[in-house]
Amino acid sequence: MSGGPKKYDAIVVGAGPAGLSAAAELGRAGARTLVLDRDTRPGGQLVKQTHKFFGSEKQRAGTRGVEIARLLREEVAALPAVEMWLNSTVLGFYSDRVITVERVKDAPGEERREWLEKVTAPVFVLATGAAERFLPFPNNDLPGIYGAGAAQTLMNVHGVRPGRRVVMVGAGNIGLIVSYQLLQAGVEVAAIVEAAPVIGGYLVHAAKVRRAGVPILTSHTVKEAHGREALEGVTVWRLDEKWQPVPGTEKYIAADVLCLATGLSPLAELLFQAGCQMAYVPELGGHVPVHGEDLETSVPGVFVAGDVSGVEEASAAMVEGHLAGLGAAARLGLVRDLAAVAAGWRAELASLRAGPSGEKIRRGLAKLAGQTAGMAASSPAGSPVSPASAPAASAPAAPPPATSAPKPGKPGRTLSPQLTSTGEPAASELESSLPPADRRRQGPYAVIECFQEIPCDPCHKACRTGAIGPFPDINLTPAYEAAHCNGCALCVAQCPGLACFVVDENYSPSEALLKLPYEFLPLPAAGHTVDLLDRTGALVGSGRVVRVVRSRSKLATPVVWVTVPSEKVGTVRNIRVPATKGGAAE
Amino acid sequence: MRIQDHPILDFSKGRKVRFWFEDRELEGYEGEPIAAALHAAGVRVLSESPVRHRPRGFFCAIGNCSSCLMTVDGRPNVRVCVEALHEGMRVQKQRGGRGDLA
Ligand SMILES: Cc1cc2nc3c(=O)[nH]c(=O)nc-3n(C[C@H](O)[C@H](O)[C@H](O)COP(=O)(O)OP(=O)(O)OC[C@H]3O[C@@H](n4cnc5c(N)ncnc54)[C@H](O)[C@@H]3O)c2cc1C
Ligand code: SF4
Ligand code: SF4
Repeated sequence: MSGGPKKYDAIVVGAGPAGLSAAAELGRAGARTLVLDRDTRPGGQLVKQTHKFFGSEKQRAGTRGVEIARLLREEVAALPAVEMWLNSTVLGFYSDRVITVERVKDAPGEERREWLEKVTAPVFVLATGAAERFLPFPNNDLPGIYGAGAAQTLMNVHGVRPGRRVVMVGAGNIGLIVSYQLLQAGVEVAAIVEAAPVIGGYLVHAAKVRRAGVPILTSHTVKEAHGREALEGVTVWRLDEKWQPVPGTEKYIAADVLCLATGLSPLAELLFQAGCQMAYVPELGGHVPVHGEDLETSVPGVFVAGDVSGVEEASAAMVEGHLAGLGAAARLGLVRDLAAVAAGWRAELASLRAGPSGEKIRRGLAKLAGQTAGMAASSPAGSPVSPASAPAASAPAAPPPATSAPKPGKPGRTLSPQLTSTGEPAASELESSLPPADRRRQGPYAVIECFQEIPCDPCHKACRTGAIGPFPDINLTPAYEAAHCNGCALCVAQCPGLACFVVDENYSPSEALLKLPYEFLPLPAAGHTVDLLDRTGALVGSGRVVRVVRSRSKLATPVVWVTVPSEKVGTVRNIRVPATKGGAAE
Repeated sequence: MRIQDHPILDFSKGRKVRFWFEDRELEGYEGEPIAAALHAAGVRVLSESPVRHRPRGFFCAIGNCSSCLMTVDGRPNVRVCVEALHEGMRVQKQRGGRGDLA
């Protein structure tokens, strides 16, 4: 290498949702920006996420992760000021603000090349994401024991099934989502094992795997793994109220894969190297950089965004990316009124974290804020805005045209122990999701089995009749008024939680019609007979497929119309195409 | 182990290539990680642990954890979960862990 390090205006490390969003802001502001990622494709965790995302429209809710990654990539690629180096791992961050990058060129037919390069800039956005945590138990080093993200990479990026039969450890969102994706890839999921007495992930994700027949064993953990050369089975056992294993409750589960979804820790090495003040905050995943609302660390000009600043979600990572990018651009003198431009994003972030599911993050950030008090004076990049002056996160939508507007769910609703420990709603919860009896007889209506307050609103955006009202707060449960519902099932296709169904009790004297979301192969066709499954995946009868509504894009959720014996329409929530190819046509 | 049909994704693969794992000739797709090609061929044991010689596979699949170090074309300590496969590659188990520490 000759000469000094290459100079840029800004360097972004990590091309996940956080880094790409930061690069978009910097590039738009005209900063010559270098984006570095060690992967061969930009997008971070998003490139392996086939499910639809939650959040609001601004964070592309209802869009699948892989698609969000493509959109972010295109946005950044269109900015001439941004340069991206892939296959480029940042190895070190030195005190003179020079970073070393290990670059690899490995194109087919060419000789492989590896070299080091040095780059520098006055401002940095470090957005390296997080790494999966390991779990201690005997034989946890056997081949076949993978991080859930690794299994996801193998199947969703490289098209290779991780195995035949999987035990998943962890019923947080990652464990639930990866279990569902394993099923979609044609892998059996024997059980999801969760040490806590309640399911930590979104209950709509839990319901999806439950109705596919996957048991969720809360208050259980792995005792040991078995196998000689590779994993052959797992013994799990129950934990008592004090989290102590109960001898005699051991269960052996045959499996060739054990997936660990037991949490993520920020990939913070570069932050330590850069000399950023760090704090240990378990709620945020471990060691995180002390930072203020503007996402600047204790080292002036070094900003953070996304999971590395505290493990959260892609929606929050994108918003933080915008804020860090704007902050860094302001540091360069490229953004004039930072407080004003950042206000919308800050309000958005606050609204994402406002509900019960954001409670842990809020607690973690409060702890961190204790540490930032002394720092605020030294970070002039942005002054805090008061929430009152911030514009509302989403413009209030026009109220539905009818007289009885849907009422939003009341905040602070308590969920049944059955729902939170098994993923199956209790009878009282199901009752509350049904319209009055006279309305049910009048024609098709939607049943929305979304009982938990989560930051999500695509059902409202999908509904054109106003039956699902606007969300005054994105964390509330949907407000549904059956009087306005025409049974169009647009909500069924749009809901990322697959929690919406449509029922028509008048289909025939003895049969009802059920419209349900179905994201598996093979898809049945009209005329096929399919198995009818209940909310636990148990077989409860058979039905006839009347129609399959699907769009040309594989990214949309197909909606299957199936006949159901009248008395079972409240029970059936899934179908299975019998093993005989494609189901028997009648 | 390859997914032929997926409800949401389409996989675009490179051309088919042959490579060697120990003394077996296997097939994979050019450009995919070596570990993915091995896994698709049913190979899950990638190395042996340094001290107790226990079998090891990959864990993180994104180049973080070094659980998948192998010798590739004579180069030791290659993280096969992120290293691209090429025609004719020779991939070998590393006995005794990291080649430089063995
Ligand atoms: C299975 C699963 C399901 C999820 N589901 C949802 C969901 O439904 N909704 C939601 O909002 N969120 C979801 N998330 C969370 C979301 O994916 C993450 O919060 C988000 O990706 C974090 O973004 P990020 O940009 O901070 O990090 P990442 O996406 O992890 O990106 C970090 C990038 O940095 C690169 N990098 C790291 N270190 C270096 C280095 N030294 N040099 C160069 N590059 C480096 C990495 O290669 C990577 O591309 C899910 C996560 C998982 C794993
Ligand atoms: S079925 Fe149609 S009208 Fe009824 S709630 Fe769903 S989207 Fe709205
Ligand atoms: S019903 Fe609405 S709020 Fe609930 S998961 Fe579906 S789209 Fe989100």
